[in-house]
Amino acid sequence: MNFRKREVARRVFAYELNRSTYRFPKEDEKSPTYVLTPLGMRVNRVYFVGALLDKDEIKPDSGIWRIRVSDPTSAVYGYVSRFQPDALESLMEIDVPELVAIVGKIRNFEVGARIFVSLRPEYVSPVESDVRDYWVYETARQTIDRIRAMEKKEDDDCKLAWQIYNPNLNEYRQMVKQALLSLKEGFVVEGEEGEEIEFEEEFEFEEEEWDLSDILKD
Amino acid sequence: MEIESLADQIVSQFGRLGYDVDRDEVIKRLKLLVLEFKVPEREAVRTVRNWVIREYEIPREKVISESPLVKIEEIKKPGEWVSLKAKVVQLWDSSSPSVSQVGLVGDETGIIKFVIWAKSGKEEVEEGKSYLFKNVVTDSFQGRMQINIGRTSEIVEIDEEVQSPREIEIVGALVSIQQNSGLIHRCGSCHRVMTKGICPIHGKVRGYDDLRVKGVLDDGDNFYEIILNEDNIRDLTGIDLNKAKRIASERLDRNAVLSELKKLLLGRYYKVVGVRGGRYLLVRKVDRIGGVEGSEVDRLLEVLA
Repeated sequence: MNFRKREVARRVFAYELNRSTYRFPKEDEKSPTYVLTPLGMRVNRVYFVGALLDKDEIKPDSGIWRIRVSDPTSAVYGYVSRFQPDALESLMEIDVPELVAIVGKIRNFEVGARIFVSLRPEYVSPVESDVRDYWVYETARQTIDRIRAMEKKEDDDCKLAWQIYNPNLNEYRQMVKQALLSLKEGFVVEGEEGEEIEFEEEFEFEEEEWDLSDILKD
Repeated sequence: MEIESLADQIVSQFGRLGYDVDRDEVIKRLKLLVLEFKVPEREAVRTVRNWVIREYEIPREKVISESPLVKIEEIKKPGEWVSLKAKVVQLWDSSSPSVSQVGLVGDETGIIKFVIWAKSGKEEVEEGKSYLFKNVVTDSFQGRMQINIGRTSEIVEIDEEVQSPREIEIVGALVSIQQNSGLIHRCGSCHRVMTKGICPIHGKVRGYDDLRVKGVLDDGDNFYEIILNEDNIRDLTGIDLNKAKRIASERLDRNAVLSELKKLLLGRYYKVVGVRGGRYLLVRKVDRIGGVEGSEVDRLLEVLA
């Protein structure tokens, strides 16, 4: 058979996603793009549930929309264009802020010396809060599994993640804990500070000069 | 596959039976058939095997008894001779005069499609009964495994009841709804899904409406292709066939049903119970997951502490 196996949609908190700056070299022209997360998982597609905070057309009439969507740990950016007709159609019907589920591909792109992570949604669907609750729980569980695998240092991708990111596992444990606590009634999460703000400024500033074709195409 | 490794397969197969087959001769014959005559690999292998059987005067029974008894989950490659004990789970309407019976058989490890060719001259099997299918050939059709029952195969009814396949339970998010979902047309005679009023087998025929969703359930580690029938869809969305038809006629668009189902179903979590049948998970029961228990969250928090 010469069809490619479908890629599994991984569950990753925005905090881990945004730090997934290493992209595996492609085996051949048609092979899918994988990035490595700091906790040693190879990711091509994700299923993400969070609050859609912004949707802005990057230039008037460009037909390219930038979205910002946040889970309890952090916010992640995404780009939707006419190459993703299903996502674009539903995005046009959504008023922000709204709780959404997104299935999409993860994309890395470079701005100057920095590498940013974004999502390229295949669809964006408004969902109920119970979906978000289950997603946070499930993503916490799978992130804990990854932290354990990182402790063992057996898996090749984990070894590579140690080499590239040398992550502070306690930081990730803390992040997962915050996410889980957010499910408790009346609990307010603090989320990330510092890095995020700087990131955003740079993002806004150089946007015009980007070659977006890389993030938007298949 | 390489000619040499095909040849090795044949040689080792007969080697196990105690026959020392001339490898060079096998390679020569395979090369002639595959490279010169452009015969498909499978046909070439069959032809050479038959030649070996004649040349070395190997009794038929020996060859038949040789095909190993396998479980359905072990069937992964086409073109292998196997035997299996299985129960007839479902009989379908045969779509072609060359097929005597077609349907699904199952054992405790899974379900697989079977085809009994008319030429095989076998007696018919009955739904719910268990049989020993001896010396059948594995095959792959449109990406799915199946078994073919031909002339050299045997079907023997057995007294023992083969267990039904283990049901599995999966909790995952519905991450995709595929084409040919929603309000569909099925062929009146073979129940296949028709596109633009045309059945792939019977051409332009009168069809009937049906409601189904072909989707992908993803749990973050694996994905499962599932099919939801009208009952499942009604339980989850409140849309049954009549309501679907109403939506289609109100909006003058059959695709409106698919859009509506996508809106209601995509991106949510479901618990599905069913059996693996080749490529698809055959769904018996589906429920929406409504949030998460506080105790489950506490358990994870303890792990982190």
